[in-house]
Amino acid sequence: MKVQFKALRYFVVAIASLLIGGCAPSATTKPEAPPSASSSAAATEGAGTQRQGEGQRGGASESTVPPGSLDALRQGKSTATPSTSPLQDIFFDFDRYDLRSDARDTLRTNADWLKNNPSARIEIEGHCDERGTNEYNLALGAKRAQSAKDYLVTLGVSAERLSTISYGEEIPVCKDQTETCWRRNRRARFVVIPARPAS
Amino acid sequence: MIVRSLVLVFAFLISLCDVALAQVSLEIIGPGMPKYPMAVSPLKHVGTGRDPGKYSEGIADAIVYDLDLSGWFRVLDRAAYIENPQQSGDTLGSFDFRDWSTIGAVGLVKGRFSVQGDEITVELRLFDVSQAKEIIGKRYSGRARDFRRIAHKFADEIIKQFTGIQGVFNTRIAYVSTSGGRFKEIHVAHLDGSEKYQVTNNRTINLSPSWTADGKAILYTSYKDRNPSLYLFDLYSGKDVKFSARTGLNLGGKWSPDGQTVAVSLERGGNTDIYLLDRSGAIVRRLTDAQSIDVSPSWSPDGRQLVFVSDRGGSPQLYILELASGTTRRLTYSGGYNTSPAWSPKGDKIAYISRVGSRFSIFTIGVGGGEPTRLTNNSSDNEDPSWSPDGRFVVFSSNRAGRYHLYIMQASGENQRRLTGSGGDDTKPSWSPRLD
Repeated sequence: MKVQFKALRYFVVAIASLLIGGCAPSATTKPEAPPSASSSAAATEGAGTQRQGEGQRGGASESTVPPGSLDALRQGKSTATPSTSPLQDIFFDFDRYDLRSDARDTLRTNADWLKNNPSARIEIEGHCDERGTNEYNLALGAKRAQSAKDYLVTLGVSAERLSTISYGEEIPVCKDQTETCWRRNRRARFVVIPARPAS
Repeated sequence: MIVRSLVLVFAFLISLCDVALAQVSLEIIGPGMPKYPMAVSPLKHVGTGRDPGKYSEGIADAIVYDLDLSGWFRVLDRAAYIENPQQSGDTLGSFDFRDWSTIGAVGLVKGRFSVQGDEITVELRLFDVSQAKEIIGKRYSGRARDFRRIAHKFADEIIKQFTGIQGVFNTRIAYVSTSGGRFKEIHVAHLDGSEKYQVTNNRTINLSPSWTADGKAILYTSYKDRNPSLYLFDLYSGKDVKFSARTGLNLGGKWSPDGQTVAVSLERGGNTDIYLLDRSGAIVRRLTDAQSIDVSPSWSPDGRQLVFVSDRGGSPQLYILELASGTTRRLTYSGGYNTSPAWSPKGDKIAYISRVGSRFSIFTIGVGGGEPTRLTNNSSDNEDPSWSPDGRFVVFSSNRAGRYHLYIMQASGENQRRLTGSGGDDTKPSWSPRLD
């Protein structure tokens, strides 16, 4: 019973990936987005300008819309947001959850995509770097996800389409003990979720 | 399978009787005192045939480990012992104290054991070598494979004899371990690393284990059903129940000392506040109501106050909340990042972590505030302090050897020793109450 439900859910995720992926730019037309905040914002802006011409493209790969971090962890996949994703991460300063200007730029691009894909529902993940206490970081991640959500709502995205979850410091994309790495981990991620069957 | 072995391990009783009258405690060991020279002889096998389980040395080894861990004893190297324990006697008058005074022993542990089927019977005695007299004598029987517990029980008696307070060697540590993989699971182990059991195995993220006041169950946060909810795992029955599964974070559950309520952090709309839940997980009372991060509550031993972390002042600091009046006061002022509070069982101070430069270190501060005392001092991170039930030790995690492992130290910060060494990261230790 449970197994069947789980299988169904993966099927739904796969279908949703195909549908939503169809609107996304292809990997070959995009530059690699380095983790630094300014260049990732630039990359997503590029994605926005290319979107119109690629609306008819099919066969987008699974990587276009990445799985949520918990699913990626379970499956042993990378939890990094690929540069091909239409929804790019935003980044935060240490122990902060207010939005930097580069984060606002990225959120505007993400909001545009959400408006162009009105059936898509998004889970916003809040993440932290590894320093400090797990529990505090979980609370901080919740604040970061909420900051992103609030800003998307002020940009006109319906709050009903946006849910949040905090992973604190538990699912880093980068595991080195360097500021470069910590900066990449202090992020909010945007993951497209399928409509779940009522249980 | 895991569950079954846990049930077997925890449903356990050792029968115990005094074989001699205990004397008054000596109170000659403790922080700042010179280490007490002790010899622990391998036990005499009084049954027929060979020692079936290397119990002679195994029991002695477990006692040596405990005495060493306490930091109060200097256990003399077994290689220097003169007499043969299998030929010499173990009761007053049946051996020569000069064999022990010669090598510098002031205290001496001797004993005997026999095994019948699965059952072991052990007699252990503590002697004062300089006065040539018996101080403690105990007889234990139980399952042979639980022989270490018998040793730990006797070590507890030795500590009680010397300090007036029972030792804490029959306790366990619950902690989070990656075991070299990518998942975080809850584990429980004895202080000596034996009797190690994996409590969760759901291949997700499991966090912040803490013991119920009776030591029979563990509360923890898990992502196993996606939402970070609180679960209660009963170590005796193996039953795992959802305790608080409100949408959003359900974090850091700490059972009150009277066992009636649980202090937790719950998140609503990105904001965490501290609540009291009853034994069924229903909300009794909301304790904080601020647009700030409020997490990590820890009870005062009398159950009247909670210390917790809040960033309401702009950075994470410790605050103390008095339940009856509802008043809150700020406790820490030095340092820009103070988290992970643990109220000491004696009630007088709080252990916590503070960011110093780019590293985290463990400190204590009096409940009235004042100058903090630094307990760890090195170029690594030291986190997650948890007190022993007698308040004389602190277990914590540190990456001083590369990965995170668990360490134990005296409440003064002295005698820091590593407890775990898995291939992964071991973090978030929670020290159990005394177990039977």
